[in-house]
Amino acid sequence: MWQQIEDSLRESMGRVFTKIATLLPGILAFVFVLLIFLVIAWLAAMLVRRVLMAVKFDERTSAGATTLTEWAPLHTPTILVTKIVFWSFVTIGVLVGVSAFEAASTESGISAYVFAYVPRVIGAAILLFFGTVIGRFLSRSVLISAVNLNLQYARLLATGVRWLVFVLTAAMVLDHLAIGGEIVDLAFGILFGGIVLALALAVGLGSRDLVSRSLEREANRPVEAPVEEKLHHF
Amino acid sequence: MPKSDTAEETKVEIQEAAPVDLLIGISSAVNPGELQQHVKGLESGFQHAEVSGTVIAYPGSGIEEAAVRDMQAGSTRLMPYSMAASDPTSLPWVVSAAAQRAICALALELKAKSCVVIHGDVGMLSSERLRLFTQALQEKQCDLVVPVYPSKKFDGLLNHSILAPLTRALYGQRVRYPLAQDFGCSSRMTQQLGENHSVREHSDSTLLWPVTQAAVSNYQTCQVNVDVQHAVQTEGLELSAVLASLVGSVFAEMERYAPFWQRVRNSQPVALSGNIAQQVSDGETVDAKPLIDSFLLGSRNLQEVWALVLPPVTLLELKKLARCAPESFRMPDELWSRIVYDFALAYRLRTINRGHLMGALTPLYLGWVASYVQEVAARSPMAAEQRFEQLAKAYEESKPYLVSRWRWPDRFNP
Repeated sequence: MWQQIEDSLRESMGRVFTKIATLLPGILAFVFVLLIFLVIAWLAAMLVRRVLMAVKFDERTSAGATTLTEWAPLHTPTILVTKIVFWSFVTIGVLVGVSAFEAASTESGISAYVFAYVPRVIGAAILLFFGTVIGRFLSRSVLISAVNLNLQYARLLATGVRWLVFVLTAAMVLDHLAIGGEIVDLAFGILFGGIVLALALAVGLGSRDLVSRSLEREANRPVEAPVEEKLHHF
Repeated sequence: MPKSDTAEETKVEIQEAAPVDLLIGISSAVNPGELQQHVKGLESGFQHAEVSGTVIAYPGSGIEEAAVRDMQAGSTRLMPYSMAASDPTSLPWVVSAAAQRAICALALELKAKSCVVIHGDVGMLSSERLRLFTQALQEKQCDLVVPVYPSKKFDGLLNHSILAPLTRALYGQRVRYPLAQDFGCSSRMTQQLGENHSVREHSDSTLLWPVTQAAVSNYQTCQVNVDVQHAVQTEGLELSAVLASLVGSVFAEMERYAPFWQRVRNSQPVALSGNIAQQVSDGETVDAKPLIDSFLLGSRNLQEVWALVLPPVTLLELKKLARCAPESFRMPDELWSRIVYDFALAYRLRTINRGHLMGALTPLYLGWVASYVQEVAARSPMAAEQRFEQLAKAYEESKPYLVSRWRWPDRFNP
C-alpha cells in the first residue's frame, strides 16, 4: 500500500514538474518580452515628455477655455499623454508576451481570450480615469461652496460626494470588466439604495421636530424692520 | 466700428438738429418721473448753448420710452437706446457694463465731443455735478474723468482691498474707484472703449475698466470729488459670486495687458478736483468674529486647494494666522498682496478651475476684512483712508514678486 502511495506521489510530482518544465519557457518568454517592453515604454514616455515640454504643450493646450488642469490639478496634459504612451507600450508588451507564452507552451486559446479582453480593460481604464477626475472635481466644488456657506460639516459633505462617485465608478468598472457578475450590481444597488434610504430617514425623522419648531417660530415671529448691514463689500 | 441698436432715423434727427457736444448716457433702467425732474433741473442749471448741444440717452423700450417721450417738452434732446438682452441672473455690474459699452458706441455714432456715463439712479444728473466732469474734459484736457465717492470706513471693501490697489500697482494710476459707475470721457477715449468693445465681445472680461484702457493707451485720467453715493442692491448676491465676477474680470484684464503692466514702475498721482465731501463716521463698530470664523473654516478645510495656488511660506503664514487669538488677528499687507498676486497667477495658468479658484479666495478675503475691521475699529475715517494708502503701497512693493512669478512660474518658490 505504501508502495502505491509512493508511486502515485512520484507520478503526480513528475507530472507537475513536467508541466512546469513545459510552461517555464513560455513564462520566461512572457517575462522577458514584458521587461523589454517596459524599458521601451519608459524610453518612449521620457522621449514624449521631453518633446512635449520642448514645444510647451501645456501652455499651448491651456490657451483654451477649459483645460485638463482645471478638472484635475495634478494632471497636466503632458503627464496624461506621457502616461498614455507608457501604458500603451505596456499593454502591447503584455499582448506580445501572451503570444510568446502561447507559442512556447502547449496551451492554446490563451492569446485569443486575452486579446478579446483587452478592449474591456481599456474601456474600464477610461471609466476609472473619468470617474476619478469627476469625483475629485465634484468633491472640490462641494467643499468650496460649503465653506463659503459657512457649513461646519463641509469636509464631510465633500468626502461623501467623492465616495459616492468613486463607488459608482468602481461598480461600473467591475461591471465593464465582467468581474463579479450580478453580485456587483446587487451589492451596488443595496449600497446606494441603503445610503439614500438612510439619508431620507435621517432627514425625515431627525428633522421633523426641527421643521415644526422652525415653522412655529416663523409663524409667531413679529415683523422686524430689516437690519442695516454695517459692512459693505461692494 | 461698433453699432448701437438705436433707430437710424432717430440718430439722423438728433445730428441734424445740432452737433452733439455732450452725450449723457444713463446706464440702467430709469424712472421716467425722476428723469423728468432731473432734466428740468439740468435745463435751468445749464446755459442755453450747453442745453442745445446736450443729448441724454436712456435705456428705453416700451412703456418707459413712451412716458419719457411724452414729457419731452424742454429743449434737452432725449434719446432712447436699446441694451442687449441680459441674463436675468447677471450681476448688476455686468448689466451696467453692457449699457456703458452701448452708450460709448452711441457716442461714437453721434460724433459726440464728450460723453458722460452715469448710474441709473440719476443722482449725478445735475448741472453742478456734470460740470465737474465736463470741465475736467474740456478745460483740463482729460481723456477720462472718474469720480471719487464719499465713503464710510466699512464701505466698498472689495474695491479698497483688491480692485483699487491692484489697478494702482499694475497700471501706475492712483485711482480710488477703478470700477466707477459714472465716468466722463473724451471723444478719443470713447473711441478706445468702443473699439475694444467690438474686439472683446466674446472674451472673459464682461466688465468695462476705463481706467485700465486709459492707462494702456497713455491717456490722461482725472478724478473729481462727488457728493453722490449709489446704493448697490446686495440682496440675494453671494459674496463669492461677486468676488469671482469682479476680481476675475481684473485678473482677465491682467492677462490681456501683461506686456504693458510688467514695464510699469511705481504709481503716479491722478489729478483730483472738486470739493471733498464730508467724511461720514460709521459710529457703530463691526463684530469681526463671524469673519474670523469664516477664515478659520476655510483654513481648516481648504488647505489642499490653497496649496495648489500659494507657496509654502504663505501657507505657513496663514497657519500661524489661524492660531492667533481673535483679538490679535491681523493679516499683514504684504501677505495679503502676495495672496492676491498668487491667485492672479493661478487664474492665468488655470492651475485649478477658475470657479474653484475664486471660491477659495473668499475665506481669505474675509480674513483680510476681519483684520481691517479690528485695526480701524477705533480709528477715524481719515485714518482708515491712510490704512488703504498703506495697503496700496504694499501692493506696489510686492509687484516685483508678481512680475517674477508671472515670467517664470515654474521657478522654485519657497
